[in-house]
Amino acid sequence: MIKYFFPSFMFLFFFSVAGCGEKEKEIRYTGSQAFKDCKKQPAFVQNLGFDLSRSAFSTSEKRVKGLTFIQFPAQNAPEDRKLFQHPSWKEFGWLGPMAIDENGNIFIAPVPVINVLDNPAEKQNNIYKVNTQTGEMSLFIQLPMQQKPNEFNPYGVLGLVYDCEKGILLASTVAGSDRENIRGCLYAVQTKGKPVVLDQLTEKDAIGIGVNYLNGEKKVYFGEARTSDIYSVGISKDGKFEGKPRLECSLADLGPRGDDKARKIRFNAEGDMIVMGVEFNFNLIAPTEKQETPYTFRYDIFTRKWGYVPEKKIQ
Amino acid sequence: MNKFLFPAVFLVLFTAFFWIACNAPVQNEGDSTQKLKGEGYGETAEYFSSDSILSKQPFLQEILTKVNESLKQPVPVILMQDSLDNAQKQAQAIALQDGGFLKSVKDEKGRALRNEIFGIFPARESDYATRQLADICKNGGCYRVEMYNYALNLTTVALVNNPSGQVLSVYSLPHTQPDIPVYLKKIALKIATESPEVAKALGGKPEEGTALMADTKTALNRSRCERSMHLCVSPTFVKGEKALWTIVDLTDFRLVGLRWTYVGDAGPAPALTERKIQNEKLTECYCKKQTNLEQNGWKLNYMLTSSDGLRISEVVYKGKAVIQSAKLVDWHVSYSNTDGFGYSDAIGCPFFSTAAVVAVEPPKVLDLWENGVKTGFVLSQNFFSEGWPQPCNYNYQQRFEFYDDGRFRVSAASLGRGCGNDGTYRPVTRIAFAGDKLSFWEWGGDDWKKWEKEQYQLQKPNTPYTKEGFQYKIGNEANAYFVVPGNGQFKDGGRGDNAYTYLTVNHPDKDEGESDLITIGPCCNTDYRQGPEKFIEPNPEALNQGGLVMWYVPQIKNDDTKGKEYCWAESFIENGIYSTKIYPCFSGPMFVPVQGKF
Repeated sequence: MIKYFFPSFMFLFFFSVAGCGEKEKEIRYTGSQAFKDCKKQPAFVQNLGFDLSRSAFSTSEKRVKGLTFIQFPAQNAPEDRKLFQHPSWKEFGWLGPMAIDENGNIFIAPVPVINVLDNPAEKQNNIYKVNTQTGEMSLFIQLPMQQKPNEFNPYGVLGLVYDCEKGILLASTVAGSDRENIRGCLYAVQTKGKPVVLDQLTEKDAIGIGVNYLNGEKKVYFGEARTSDIYSVGISKDGKFEGKPRLECSLADLGPRGDDKARKIRFNAEGDMIVMGVEFNFNLIAPTEKQETPYTFRYDIFTRKWGYVPEKKIQ
Repeated sequence: MNKFLFPAVFLVLFTAFFWIACNAPVQNEGDSTQKLKGEGYGETAEYFSSDSILSKQPFLQEILTKVNESLKQPVPVILMQDSLDNAQKQAQAIALQDGGFLKSVKDEKGRALRNEIFGIFPARESDYATRQLADICKNGGCYRVEMYNYALNLTTVALVNNPSGQVLSVYSLPHTQPDIPVYLKKIALKIATESPEVAKALGGKPEEGTALMADTKTALNRSRCERSMHLCVSPTFVKGEKALWTIVDLTDFRLVGLRWTYVGDAGPAPALTERKIQNEKLTECYCKKQTNLEQNGWKLNYMLTSSDGLRISEVVYKGKAVIQSAKLVDWHVSYSNTDGFGYSDAIGCPFFSTAAVVAVEPPKVLDLWENGVKTGFVLSQNFFSEGWPQPCNYNYQQRFEFYDDGRFRVSAASLGRGCGNDGTYRPVTRIAFAGDKLSFWEWGGDDWKKWEKEQYQLQKPNTPYTKEGFQYKIGNEANAYFVVPGNGQFKDGGRGDNAYTYLTVNHPDKDEGESDLITIGPCCNTDYRQGPEKFIEPNPEALNQGGLVMWYVPQIKNDDTKGKEYCWAESFIENGIYSTKIYPCFSGPMFVPVQGKF
């Protein structure tokens, strides 16, 4: 149970001032390469009077339901902490993963915390959008559910990533799955104009989702929700999943728990895969302390495999 | 330390396919030790305290003596038990004089923790964090000394330079365990081979040489006890096309569990761990199906739910139907010092559920004793947060007591520790009585008054009871019970329930909580609005001779005052590792059969 710190599926999202709007270029590269993150500050935050260099969006603020925008205190000035919450940000229950596009619009999904009082099962496949100009949060799209929600699985969308090269939002959901049946999906959603599902990869219960270029091909990586394995699948220029999912690496037997699931998958500038691993068994436990472990995998261009890079802590 | 790698010989041994068989419930055999019944295939072993193991396993005496002796030393570290050459001994001695290496051998109050040197190896290139270290060690004489802290589940590694007598670097790896020394491997194997559960599963006591761990080092290491955070290894025995995995806890020196797997050539099986074996056992045997129990004139079914705890159903006593179903819907926990702060916790299955606090061990059937006389049995189930008893983690217990004379009690307790000492626990219990033409009566001080409509009532200091302590009675001409709320009289430490009792009509054609209920109410309402009122308001129905559901919501304040602890838990150090003392707060009504006319 939770109780102090933020549950595993909640997110903290700092801005980067990375450039945006670069046109897709042909990738001639061997190995792993992350494409540039194009997320931009939402326009509405400019008027809040926050120091944006130390501010972030969060869905994991202690005992605050929904989305918040936080200015973290400057060193030695704890009173300098500020918090903003648009009235619409707490209307959709507890929230989890988010992704920001090149215009500063925020896509965000609900995730129940401890109980389902504020997160009804039928709404767990919704994705909401915070308008970059007004800050208003509203329903962006209701992803289809393969099966009606059941009392055994409180979850829906668990992973989001924005592919800024094509304006495609990729989402992973486990909605409708139960002990015996995998009914989750990966969805590719068009964000420009009317939101439309461009493609779906069915029978995949996944949590974390990430995108990179591997040997020149764009790949979507996803962490299975039932195992510790991380798979990849190709994605075409028009947002269609391509080929069969391929096992890339696994968190099995790694870290303090040994059976972590990949909650979040990102790639650093060197192309290393950074995976945030958590315990996940399709229940609502929430440990006191954030039981999350970062794992780094590096792609070996000779063996064409991802290898785990252990972390050593020096006293 | 290739503990995560799987040797080739093992790669082809196991498929990823396991099976689990479900056996009879865990039974009490009259003492504090829980034993298993059944065939043993896939069975999760019960937990033993270190003391009980100590008395049962004479071969452990020597190591336990070493543990106790080391805890009395100024540097509480058991020296390397395997044979060492002089250079290794020198490296060990140098490391044990280094403040950085010894930083965690005691707790913050200076109390000794259990530590042991697990390995001393000539340093390799990969042990040098910097070029400078590599230069110092290029002529040899550098050793890597590995120490394990059992209490903190922590590995500390020192790089020692013998010629200079210096420790060059020290680092610690939390939640990490080094390769274990040879003597501990032998002890692990001995625990497994001496275990009656293993012998039962294999159809006879195994020879020590048949275990794979003896010559397959990493197979031994491929296990974890994620919940207890103990040092665990996994001796494995192959029998025909099957292999029996055992998990041995070397912190407590006990068997944690065992499990059969198919042997095949499809690649490595996922590592068998404490949590996996617990979750799979509970899911297969208690979450997917119900278990029948017949004992002492009682007959009932029970199963673990997604979010309503342990549910009993079709309860019959000596041929008479008593309860249709009973379960614990929610735990509401509020903290008075912070308005609106608290949690509404569901309890239930560990895999695919809406439970926030989950079952870890199977339900237990225990003997029930009153004044030294065995008078019935208890069906008991615990639900546990993995960080318990650290602050803001929880442990709940459900108990269904069945007495030989027809009484029964539905009770529950918090075992702490929660987020503060200002907490109030409100477990919401639902009891659907069997039969129809039921009526419900309240003792008014002089006479029984019948309830005509759905309603609720709070147990107060001035609530009238009969001289026997009865507050209500429920039933029909064929079968009826007096209801005795908790007033601290049940000798289980309970101090009174201050409970809300709700009565609702049991509609056979309308589900008002008979199936699994998602969270019924918020954490922090301090009045009658705990959830059951939803089935009463706004228009209470008349009680028209049908079935009835009684909801019972005690309100129990916790206490951390020394000597008065209640709904509380404290960690303490025992034999160099952390143990927990619990102060449960049991609540719940007793039901006493009405003799004669209702």
